[in-house]
Order: sequence, then structure tokens, then C-alpha cells
Amino acid sequence: MSINSAFHSQRKWNIGFILFLTLLLVLLSQISIHLTLIMALGTSLGFVLQKSRFCLVSALRDPILLGMTQLTRAFLLLLGISILGFALVSWGASQRNIPLSLNVFPMGVHTVVGGLLFGIGMVLAGGCSTGIIIRIGEGFAMQMLAFFGLAVGSVLGERSLKNWRNTFGEWPGIFLPDVFGWIPTLILEIIVLSGLWQLARWWQKKQLGE
Amino acid sequence: MTRFSIDIWGEMCPIPLIKAKKKLSSMQCGDVLVLETEHSCTSRGIVVWAKANRYIIEEKEVANGIWHLELTKTHD
Amino acid sequence: MKKTLQTIIHGPWAYWIGAIILGLLNILVLIVRRQPWGVTWNIEIWTEWIGTNLGVLSDRGFTLKGLMGASGTYLNLGLLLGAFWATLVASQVRFRPIRDKKFFFSALIGGLLMGYGARIAYGCNVGALLNGIASSSLTGWIFAIAVFLGTWLGSKLLLKYLM
Repeated sequence: MSINSAFHSQRKWNIGFILFLTLLLVLLSQISIHLTLIMALGTSLGFVLQKSRFCLVSALRDPILLGMTQLTRAFLLLLGISILGFALVSWGASQRNIPLSLNVFPMGVHTVVGGLLFGIGMVLAGGCSTGIIIRIGEGFAMQMLAFFGLAVGSVLGERSLKNWRNTFGEWPGIFLPDVFGWIPTLILEIIVLSGLWQLARWWQKKQLGE
Repeated sequence: MTRFSIDIWGEMCPIPLIKAKKKLSSMQCGDVLVLETEHSCTSRGIVVWAKANRYIIEEKEVANGIWHLELTKTHD
Repeated sequence: MKKTLQTIIHGPWAYWIGAIILGLLNILVLIVRRQPWGVTWNIEIWTEWIGTNLGVLSDRGFTLKGLMGASGTYLNLGLLLGAFWATLVASQVRFRPIRDKKFFFSALIGGLLMGYGARIAYGCNVGALLNGIASSSLTGWIFAIAVFLGTWLGSKLLLKYLM
């Protein structure tokens, strides 16, 4: 590819790694097909995240700092696809009486505080949870350290939940389809996401003086 | 047509882009800003930003995971 | 054709393509796992187990067998291996050390805040934000707004202390 001597093809490592990964999956399949599938999905997620340079921090930070919203809009697209897909799967599972749990978490003051801390933290650490792991895979020492911090912080957070609940209380999560019904909820959510998408596109045009 | 360069090596994104943006504002039309980074997101981020702002941008991977960028200021 | 192959191997892929593939994978995880993709719960329980074995944390009953059988373990492990592989395929693997003391501190503090914030909110950008909203849960939207505000605050800190 280049006559520059600073370029070393990592192809041998690549082949070695593919063999390693295949071996891992084969071994895992002897124990559980379910876990092998999960691992394959995780690997795919990691691969796509790295290749597309998807970054939530950038999606939320760049509109303010740089007036750019490409990633923001891509993230809104991801949200839209996920909402619709989750709704379909959830509905399909209930039709077949297959137990399925969705992430309808309880909320309280700690939800807001958690979000604020997470937002601040991910800017300082240079990545969100997945971003940290992806950058470790790329070889960044900074995110390896951030991961250590994340691990310790997660234990501190988990163990402090009781205190938050006792001090400020907690409300059960609100599953919007229970309140509005599936179709109105989905329509509302898609409208909100589309609105945000339009806003993001307008914002960039305005900030960059197009 | 002057060539400038700023050191963004090892800086966490978005710091390189903010520094580049600042430097660019002090440059004349036709000047070139040269940057080198080992961060894929930073490199991509600069390219996307430059294109959105209609500057000329050249990005080249010069070693394993090291990108060399040349940003030409085309307008104020 | 060759250029397309180059882009697939080296990246970067277009953001919207990433969004669609990630969306589909996210849905597949829900189907296979019977619960949405999440990252931090698994990190937390592994840390609990390590901490207990090091004698610094009280035993909460996590076992190695349990951890090795948890789907979250393989999602996170896959995430790491997939990212490494993606970088390797493009021959872009390189150890990138921390080059300034300030980033050492921001990484550590940032990580602590992220971990703490994620667990008191029951999830991180994936579990609580992406999949909270994907689950049509109001909590997810509230968390998202809080994270957005946090990002704004964090950016202010970055501009002040890390430039």
C-alpha cells in the first residue's frame, strides 16, 4: 500500500487473530450456542462501532462546541430503528408468551444526577461506556485507565443506590405504551425524534453559515 | 500561501479540532494547516468538520494508525 | 470497487450506515438475550467479584461460574475483541500512551463519574439511554436529557482545564 517504511502490514497478526477468535467461538459453542451467538453479536457491535467511529460524546458535544450534528442525527436514526425494532420484538414475544424484559427502569433524583455525572464523566474520559471499550481495543492507554475508573465507580454507584432511594425516594418506571397504547406512543416517539433530527440539521446549517 | 502546523499529538478529542479551529481563524485564505494525529476519531472529526465548512482537506495515513492532515483555508 | 473495499477495511464507514447496522444488531441482541444490550451491570459484577477476592469488598455472592455464564460478559468481551479486530484489519493497531498528566487525571475522574452515574441510573449510554428510550420508557428520555446537560457541563470543564 505504501513504500513508507513506517507502514507495517499487520496482516499476519490479523490472520492469527481471526484464528484465535474462531477458536474462541468454537470452544464456546461446545458450552452454549446461546453464549456463542451473544459473543458473535458483541464482536459485530465492536467492529461496527470502531469502523463507523460512532461516538455518543461527539453526538452530544459537537452541536454545542462545533455546531456539527452529523453524529447527533445518526444517533437519532439509531434510536428510531431501535424503538421500532424493540416494539416489534416485544409485541411478538407477548404474542407467543415468550418472556422478554425491556429496560424500563425506576426513576428518581438519582436518575438525573446519574445522567449529569455520566455526561460530565464521559467528556473527561474521552468516551462513553462503549467508546471506552472501543478505544481500549484500538490501543489507547487513557481509556484503559478510564475503564479502571469506570469499574470502581460502578461499584461505588451500585452500593450507594440504597442511600439515594432512602433519601430521595424512587418512582417506578413509566412504560409509555401502558399509558398511551403502543401505536400512539410509537407515533409520538417518532415525531419527537424526527423533530430533533430536523432541529439538528437546521442547527448545523445555521452554525456553519450554509 | 504559508504553511502552519500545530501540535495536537496525544490530545484527547475534541481538543485538536478546537485548536485547529482557533489557528485557522488567525490564518489567511490560501494558507495551509498541517496536523498529525494517532487518533482515528480526531482525524475523522477534522475531515468531517473541514468538509462541512467547505475547506480543502487532505488526509493520509502515513504509518500504522497515524494520520497526516493538510487543511487549506479557502474562505474566512 | 477497490476503493469501496478500502473503505470497508480501513473505515471510516458513513455514520448513517453505522447507525442502521448498530440498530439491527441492537435488536438482535434483544431477541437472543431476551433483554436489551447493556454494558455497565456486567462490569460492576465482575468488579464486585474481583474486589471480594482481593478482600476489599464484602461478598455479594457473585461466583466465577455465574460470571462466566452471564451473557453480559460475552457482550463486553465481544465488544473489545471486535474493536481490536476492526483496528487490526486496517493495520491501525498501535499502543497510544497517555502523553500528558492532565489526561491521566481526567481519565480516572471521568471514569469514576461515569461508573457511578451509570449505576445509580441503572445503566449507561447503552443500557439506560439508548435502550431505555428504545424500550419506550420515560426514564430513558429523562436520563438522556440529563446526560446531554452533563455533556454540556463536561465540555465547559474540558475547555477550562484540559486545553
